Amino acid sequence: MFELIERLQHNTLQVSLPGFQPELAICATIVLLLLGRMLPFTRWIDTLWIALGGTLVALYLARPWQHLAVGTDVAATPLFDGMLQLDTFTIYFRGVLLLFVALFLIFSRLSGIPDREDAVDIYALVLGSTLGMMLMASANHLFVVFMGIEMASVPSYALAGVLKGRRISSEAALKYAIFGAGTAGVMLYGISLLAGALGTLHLPTMVNQLADMPEAEFAMRQTVLLSGGLMLMVGLAFKLSAVPFHFWCPDVFEGAPAEVDAFLSVASKAAALALLVRVAIGFGHVPTSSVAAVDRPTSAVVRTVAFAAQPAVDAPVAAKAADDKAETPATVPVPLAKSRRFMVGLISLLAAVTATFGNLAAYSQTNLKRLLAYSTIAHAGYMMMPVAAALAVVGRDPELARESISAICFYIGTYLFMNLGAFAVVAFVRNETRSEEIRDYAGMIRRSPGLVVCFGIILVSLLGLPPMSGFAAKLLVFKSLVTDPQLYTLLIIGGLNTVLSLVYYLRVVKVMTIDAEPQDRVLPSFSMLTPGGVFITLMTIPVAGLGIWWDPLNVLAQQAVRQLFS
Amino acid sequence: MFETKSLMVLIPALPLAAAIIVGLLGRRWLKEYSHVPVVLALAGSCVFSLLLLKDISNREPDAKQVGVEVTHTLWTWAAIPAAGVTTPQIKATPNFQIDITLRADPLTCMMLPMVTFIATLVAIYAMGYMHGDPGYWRFYAYVGLFVFSMTMLVSVSNFALLYVFWEAVGVCSYLLIGFWFEKPEAAAAGKKAFLVNRVGDFGFAFGLFLIWVSFGTLNFHDAGDVQGVLGQTLLANPARYAEIITGSVALAIPLLLMVGACGKSAQFPLHVWLPDAMEGPTPVSALIHAATMVTAGVYMVTRCSPLFMLDPRAQLVVACIGGFTALLAGLIALTQTDLKRVLAYSTVSQLGYMFLALGTGSLAGIVAGMFHLFTHAFFKALLFLGAGSVMHGMHHIIDMRRFSGLRRVMPWTCLTFLIGSLALAGIVPLAGFWSKDQVLAAVHDRAHDGGPFVYLYYSAVLTAFLTAFYTARAFFMTFMGPLVVPHEVGDHAHESPPAMVFPLVVLAICSIFVGITFDHSLGDFIVRTPSLACTLVAGEHGLEHHFHWDIAAISTVVAVLGIAIAAYFYLGDRRQINALTRIMQGVRLYGLSNRKFFFDEIYHVLFVLPLKGLAALSYLIDRWLVDGLVNLCGWIPRAVGAVLRNIQTGVVQFYALAMVLGLALLIGTLLVWKVG
Repeated sequence: MFELIERLQHNTLQVSLPGFQPELAICATIVLLLLGRMLPFTRWIDTLWIALGGTLVALYLARPWQHLAVGTDVAATPLFDGMLQLDTFTIYFRGVLLLFVALFLIFSRLSGIPDREDAVDIYALVLGSTLGMMLMASANHLFVVFMGIEMASVPSYALAGVLKGRRISSEAALKYAIFGAGTAGVMLYGISLLAGALGTLHLPTMVNQLADMPEAEFAMRQTVLLSGGLMLMVGLAFKLSAVPFHFWCPDVFEGAPAEVDAFLSVASKAAALALLVRVAIGFGHVPTSSVAAVDRPTSAVVRTVAFAAQPAVDAPVAAKAADDKAETPATVPVPLAKSRRFMVGLISLLAAVTATFGNLAAYSQTNLKRLLAYSTIAHAGYMMMPVAAALAVVGRDPELARESISAICFYIGTYLFMNLGAFAVVAFVRNETRSEEIRDYAGMIRRSPGLVVCFGIILVSLLGLPPMSGFAAKLLVFKSLVTDPQLYTLLIIGGLNTVLSLVYYLRVVKVMTIDAEPQDRVLPSFSMLTPGGVFITLMTIPVAGLGIWWDPLNVLAQQAVRQLFS
Repeated sequence: MFETKSLMVLIPALPLAAAIIVGLLGRRWLKEYSHVPVVLALAGSCVFSLLLLKDISNREPDAKQVGVEVTHTLWTWAAIPAAGVTTPQIKATPNFQIDITLRADPLTCMMLPMVTFIATLVAIYAMGYMHGDPGYWRFYAYVGLFVFSMTMLVSVSNFALLYVFWEAVGVCSYLLIGFWFEKPEAAAAGKKAFLVNRVGDFGFAFGLFLIWVSFGTLNFHDAGDVQGVLGQTLLANPARYAEIITGSVALAIPLLLMVGACGKSAQFPLHVWLPDAMEGPTPVSALIHAATMVTAGVYMVTRCSPLFMLDPRAQLVVACIGGFTALLAGLIALTQTDLKRVLAYSTVSQLGYMFLALGTGSLAGIVAGMFHLFTHAFFKALLFLGAGSVMHGMHHIIDMRRFSGLRRVMPWTCLTFLIGSLALAGIVPLAGFWSKDQVLAAVHDRAHDGGPFVYLYYSAVLTAFLTAFYTARAFFMTFMGPLVVPHEVGDHAHESPPAMVFPLVVLAICSIFVGITFDHSLGDFIVRTPSLACTLVAGEHGLEHHFHWDIAAISTVVAVLGIAIAAYFYLGDRRQINALTRIMQGVRLYGLSNRKFFFDEIYHVLFVLPLKGLAALSYLIDRWLVDGLVNLCGWIPRAVGAVLRNIQTGVVQFYALAMVLGLALLIGTLLVWKVG
């Protein structure tokens, strides 16, 4: 008994908390921000520096450069009795999120959205949401999945309504909240169904249960399991803004300021994708390292201790074991195979519909933020495709499945700069012209050539033409789809979608360059030497640069996935 | 002093840096000083190219190596590992890896100094020619970008990158042809060049696909255990080529590459874009459309000569296209009245000569082609710059019927143009004589066996005659006779400023000496290129030098004859000439040549009109069908959005109801699906 408590204590203090440092740093920053509101010294200190400092400290504590370096062999560790999984995948997404938040904080200050009064609230909300997203990226337990989604979502609802005076903004926030609450309820119900059917919420244990389930029993519970899985996906689809759970997205993007859109479109999506990967793995891959601990552990603690006691089963060995263990169809348990097929089908369907719908709907948009909203929906579709690919090939070749997931990591790395850059352009132009309508961008190249060149590069990258980074990202995604014949349909749909998207992205470029300047308004001339211009330039450089030299990010992405499917 | 590898990087890096600097700072700050960074960078590149040339020429191939090559990998651009496990449905694909690799070998080291040297002179020349143009900075930014692309084109060691820079020089060319885009002709010419080049690139791209499918790599060089297409492993054992590409693929690859070369190097039937490209500023015509970019096709075919060696039919096609283009363009050039167009058709014709030489499929022929490329670059750049000098003095009037006798007002231009003309006509001992002699000798050697090469040889001799005629005609019309200047110029006709005369003089000196100086040494140098040193190309004996007295005599006689006839026509008795002209016009040959054998019109009927019809049809389909679908799809979310907007905050229950209903539907479907 005491031994158990001692182990628990040891596990929490020595293993879990050190691995949880970045999240703790974010917590501390939020507390500091809120405390600062009550104390007089905020009058002298700009709260931006507290928020930014906290984010950078968290980034330092996360040490992605150290863990993702080639050749380091840090074993994947479960934290808090397997609630969270700390592996390179977690670290990569943490790094992406924190880097993004740091850039976002600078960007929001430059564009001047948080005024002196609101700044603390906005920063606290952003960081609170980020905390939830970091949990999503490392979730290994459906309870944390739910908690992470809610922690990320609730502050987002408030952020969407940050422009208090505007009706459209408040309406957007309310819609967002209602949709969020509804899908959360459905997801929770799905989770409870799964818990009832499988007796656990710990993802690796769940998949073990599934694999070990006798066929007759599975047939009996199939309906419950499938319904549970479906309802769980509803929650994820909401966060990914996948069709048909995307309805909130265009309205919210139009109502909320462009800064918040940038946050929602990048950070929220990155976290949701990471979570989708985790859940997908949880439904389709039996971890080799926990095979020994399958005998229905009464408590997660025991199993975690068993982990700690077996240093021999570390990542590289496990990875090797996984490589050797290319399953033949005969050895895959029927329930596992069915679960995989279900997930592949469901994710492929969602991805195909989402990408197609997003691209088609973007055609007729006149508001640039709405257009970008549909563009992010379409991109969510592309980014979901490799998850289906990974599950389709994982039984045959875990290495190939890892490659597929690394395509997502690469995609999100480039997508970060593209979308942040695009929304930065929208925000800075809005500050000049008070307009977000595409027609008000007409002929902009004559007065603001630098801005138009940068925005053109970003749009071409979003479209996915070489030599921009969007091309490399799309190439990797499509490459992951040629690995298995059952994905070819998805590949064709993805290719057609790229063609579809060409028109509406280039239409914006055409309006900016070829169309005549409107006569009825003050024409802005945006200099690239202002802080805003420099920020846009700094976002454009990686967008173009990662297309010419994409190996470094690709290597990082491959490091990020090396501990998955083991 | 400099490492080979840093030289290889510096040569393209300097023009790129200059282009970026001018592009960013030119409009606001540099303005009329925009030439400074570019001229400095190009001169620097030129010096580094010469250092690299020295470095490479000092290297001796060791016994194991075929030729001399140095490769330098900067970074990996794309690395996509192959599928790990193969199943019956999934074939093994090789790793798709493209490294940004530069190479230095004799072929590259021949091209680099030539490109950068002429580019430097042209940049200096443009200081005078483009002076006062509102787009001065834009011009220099484009030129810097072009030289970067061109140096990269000849330095890269990978087909994919070759394609990238192939397109990049095309883009620069497009931008510079349409430099004065306010002029509708310039914009149209840019578009024409762009579209015609797409046809060539289409073939080129398919060639690359076939290479990828056959070889499993697009590298020239060997990297690790990847055997490059033109790598040491394959070149050392050329019999392997016949195993890798067999049958129709061995014919298709070179032919598709040749389609690409035809586009870029303006060969029949894709030659129509080059004369129109003369709408660009004249320094650009000299640099891009005479000396460097248009020779990219010749360079590429030479680089890939082992692939062309596998099927004699491919060589014959190259030779026939070259020979026919040379003759055709020579005939068209006879009657053009626009000085730059004469030179443009002459360029097409001379490029045809080079392809004819490459098509002989012998080492001597390939070397002759490259040698002609080399000498042609100097004298053709000189002629274009001379024409630019005339345009400068004549206020951008270039119709030779509107002026004559300019030798009195433009003595330097006249003298240098004369030297260029003699070099082009192939008068001993100027540059063109030596290279033309080599080309004719190579074709003559093949003609010994009989067959089509006999005709090609005679057509080449005829072309040499035509060349001498139209060159002399252009010179006589422009510089000889009584002084006539267009009335727009008045009495302001003047010699060009020193910045323009200096490059003319330098190029004139080069045009005199590069032929005799490099007659043997250039060949001896480039045969050490791996592609050419391979026994498949070089044969058993390698390059042997013979001076063909008979051919030299024939070509000289032909050239002198051409000049003499031109002199008779254009300097002789007016009345006789008028009578002759009427006869010529009477037999319609004159019109045929003057209207360029109606190629533009034929293409208009054959391609442009049907495509326009197709476009109209597509427009209708797009208008009614696609737009309808798109609007429908755009309408759905809008309709839903409108519905959502109408339901105000009070009706939250509706949301819940809709969501539950939707989910019920999904689960219901699931159950049915499971039961069914």
